[in-house]
Amino acid sequence: MPLFDVSYAEKLKKWEELEREARELRRRFADWGFIESLPPRLREALKYYIETGDIRRAARLAGLELEDFRELLRRANVPVVV
Amino acid sequence: MSRSFAIADTCFLIDWARYRGRDLLFKLYIVYVPESVLREVKSESTIAWIASKLASGDLALFTETESEVEEARSIMERSRRMPNTPAVDLPEAICIVAGRRRGYVVLTENRGALKFVELAEDYSGVIIHRSLEILLQLQLKRYLEPDCGDPALRFREYEEDTKHLFPRKDLLNAVATIRRELCGET
Repeated sequence: MPLFDVSYAEKLKKWEELEREARELRRRFADWGFIESLPPRLREALKYYIETGDIRRAARLAGLELEDFRELLRRANVPVVV
Repeated sequence: MSRSFAIADTCFLIDWARYRGRDLLFKLYIVYVPESVLREVKSESTIAWIASKLASGDLALFTETESEVEEARSIMERSRRMPNTPAVDLPEAICIVAGRRRGYVVLTENRGALKFVELAEDYSGVIIHRSLEILLQLQLKRYLEPDCGDPALRFREYEEDTKHLFPRKDLLNAVATIRRELCGET
């Protein structure tokens, strides 16, 4: 018996593709010069966000409130892709 | 025309607060804001917008019950067992619970919440609208005038104001709908 039914597997595949597209867009649009100029904590939090899209954990890594981290994403030209 | 009830999470609200057409949201919905979401909003401009809309009755406060928080925690746990799923946190999970129990439209930009509702069969009836669907609806209902010379314009304005990007395939589908339904193209 398969672990997941076909439609569930198809949905997982669709989400995998969406996440791949989102990651590529975040990487492509990001202002890497700005990101590399930041203090380590902010820099690594932005890189974590670019790879995962997980804004809450990235904000906590940065030591910022959620809204302040969203503003940092704008300054770093990292888009939220949804 | 009567408006639907919706419930919004934090990232959705802080992005809409920056959009030039932010008040158009209330042409479609009366929007509940969970207390757990309100606690995350900090900036003066966003708080000012939320306060003015609470005063006008376009926004309403949603106070979570213990039972709703318990169900939300179960959603958080289940989302962590789903492969490669961004975490669903308490504010989004509360919105999903309100979507299931009360039929509110869930307004979110959280990929974890979107994926959870699509994969969890017992939540498949929950309706989620991202900004893309809202901007499309606003144009289809003529609250936001489409530009048939540039049918992507209204979506691009939102992207510019908020530094949000819509997935390209979804955006193309939305623009095709505008062309077909509003601009007389076949």
